[in-house]
Amino acid sequence: MANTLFYIIAGIVLGSAFLAVTLRNLFHCALFLALTMFGVSGIFLYLNSEFLAAVQVLIYVGAVTILIIFGIMLTRDVMNDHTRVMNNQVLAGLLVAAAVMFVSYAAVSHSVFQTTDHPTAVAAAVEQAPAAAGRTSDVYALGPVLIRPENGFAFAFEFVSVLLLSALVGAIVVARKDPA
Amino acid sequence: MGVELMLNSVNINFLAFAKYWNWANLTGSVFVVFVITIAAAEAAVALAIVISIYRQWKSTNVDEVHYLRD
Repeated sequence: MANTLFYIIAGIVLGSAFLAVTLRNLFHCALFLALTMFGVSGIFLYLNSEFLAAVQVLIYVGAVTILIIFGIMLTRDVMNDHTRVMNNQVLAGLLVAAAVMFVSYAAVSHSVFQTTDHPTAVAAAVEQAPAAAGRTSDVYALGPVLIRPENGFAFAFEFVSVLLLSALVGAIVVARKDPA
Repeated sequence: MGVELMLNSVNINFLAFAKYWNWANLTGSVFVVFVITIAAAEAAVALAIVISIYRQWKSTNVDEVHYLRD
């Protein structure tokens, strides 16, 4: 039963992603993009990443898709809008996409994956926290990894917050009207 | 929108490989956190640019916005 549900969610992701790039009305494309994000969040749940599934719904569906819909509604006449789906480069695009898929499949299928058993500080945090709580999710393990300096991600974490601030200020500066 | 799809697929890849390695290191999950954050920032800036272009050109069709090409 879990397998069929996974295939249903994967089918939702692939189908709505395909529809998000091939529909004529751009607003419909944005709605199918939101459905794709929901499906991807379901796949995250299959990978024992409940925190990332929640973050995906919050940020991608709740913020990014809403931003895209803002952009679409502010710059188009949504009711009569029909965009061209194909141009004269579709065949070249399909060839490149097929080549990328073939190359990545070949690379993945010929590589040897090793499951490592080294107890690093991160692995110890993963083993201790979920086992103590009786759960196998990543909610308890991600916090210490991001904050503690000995894990190496603390600087990047603070820097990403500075990057968010700069993106916010930059978007406001780019999109404001010139004070005339 | 295509960029968002690509970034999502990359996220799925990272998490799948992190779980395949039995969470021996959480680098996959941490990287996914960063990718989600940076994708959101990039979507905000990209839409600010689109709105600014629309104000200038009154159209978002990339075939009509071609001053740099000529």
